[in-house]
Amino acid sequence: MECERLRELDSELALGVLSARERAEAVAHLDRCPDCREHVERLTAVGDGLLALLPGAEPPVGFESRVARALGAPPAPKRHRRLRLAAAAAAAALACGFGGWAIGTAVEAAPPQVSQVTDAGLREAALVSDGHEVGRIHAHTGDEAWVYMSVDLDGIGRGPVRCLLVHADGSTVPVGSFPLKDGYGYWGGPTPTDPATVTGVRLIGPNGNILATADFPTS
Amino acid sequence: MWRMGLSLGRVPDEALLTGLTTGDPELAVAFVRRFQRTVFGVALAVTGDPQLAEDVAQQTFERAWRHAQVYDPRRGSVRSWLTAIAHNLAIDAVRARRARPVAPEELDALLGAVTETPERRALADDSAERVRRAVAGLPREQARALVMAGIYGMTAREVAAAEDIPLGTAKTRIRTGTLKVRALLEATERR
Repeated sequence: MECERLRELDSELALGVLSARERAEAVAHLDRCPDCREHVERLTAVGDGLLALLPGAEPPVGFESRVARALGAPPAPKRHRRLRLAAAAAAAALACGFGGWAIGTAVEAAPPQVSQVTDAGLREAALVSDGHEVGRIHAHTGDEAWVYMSVDLDGIGRGPVRCLLVHADGSTVPVGSFPLKDGYGYWGGPTPTDPATVTGVRLIGPNGNILATADFPTS
Repeated sequence: MWRMGLSLGRVPDEALLTGLTTGDPELAVAFVRRFQRTVFGVALAVTGDPQLAEDVAQQTFERAWRHAQVYDPRRGSVRSWLTAIAHNLAIDAVRARRARPVAPEELDALLGAVTETPERRALADDSAERVRRAVAGLPREQARALVMAGIYGMTAREVAAAEDIPLGTAKTRIRTGTLKVRALLEATERR
């Protein structure tokens, strides 16, 4: 497919209504043509904008609790499986319109990065113990700074564990403590210091020992 | 386990989505409560069937829960991500149920809903209102074709059959409508 043909199909591609064959040919062209890719990406804003105009509607009574129950299914009992659930979920593609989410391209399963800045205000890092990932921490920077973490620590039982944010100079700021259940726990809360200024995290056990650490990427 | 008194109502969307994967029931309720009107609204608009829309909405949340790790904030908000999931599921659900994607009276009602400008919004200049005004400014046949394709997920061939027009005309209406809205949006963004 050449640029001229692609431009004839640009809107149908952007709105996600091309036939499978035409779509495959168009996407193959976009893979090697940055100009057409940018052009179609701009058009996808029209489709996204249309969907944003759809009026909200109140679902039937009981919907919220039914869905929440379905989502709150107890995690699988096998240890460490819990932390892998979300990463494994990345193996499946979310087929949407061309420029929408995931662009209909298969997203391969990949181990989570040790740390990353996911957007301007959200930082994410692995909590590591003895070289193994035992949890993840997410920190949102800015005026309403907060942290959220989940950990799965063998042999710690009920905890509690304390969370310290670590500054570059080695000073620490406690942000809270939380209990575990069979070594597993998740917790979140506001922080007294902006996570943008910290370089890492320590989780401290009941005996004062360091259970896990995380390093944020330096920005 | 939001133990430090942070109101879940103030937790950012991305954090709720992250927390959803842990199976925390409190976070699940907060997540569903925050987005259910949007998700159900999209599902209902596309399917026109409250029962089917409820199924689609529930599937949307379950899919978001399973695929939360795929969410990339650089590509857009959590709300637009959920909207896209609900939209695709709704189109699939409708296609599985009936040959004709949309009844004409449903299209007219939806077109009215997406182009009406209530007084309270008349002076708003956010992105949604710019799209609304741009669609409202299209010739009606182009707006119909754009809504058929962009919201109901109808192919050009289906638009042609529904409007009883040649395929080439349907393609032209979809394309012209899309490009005009994009041009109007870019013109207002540059101001």
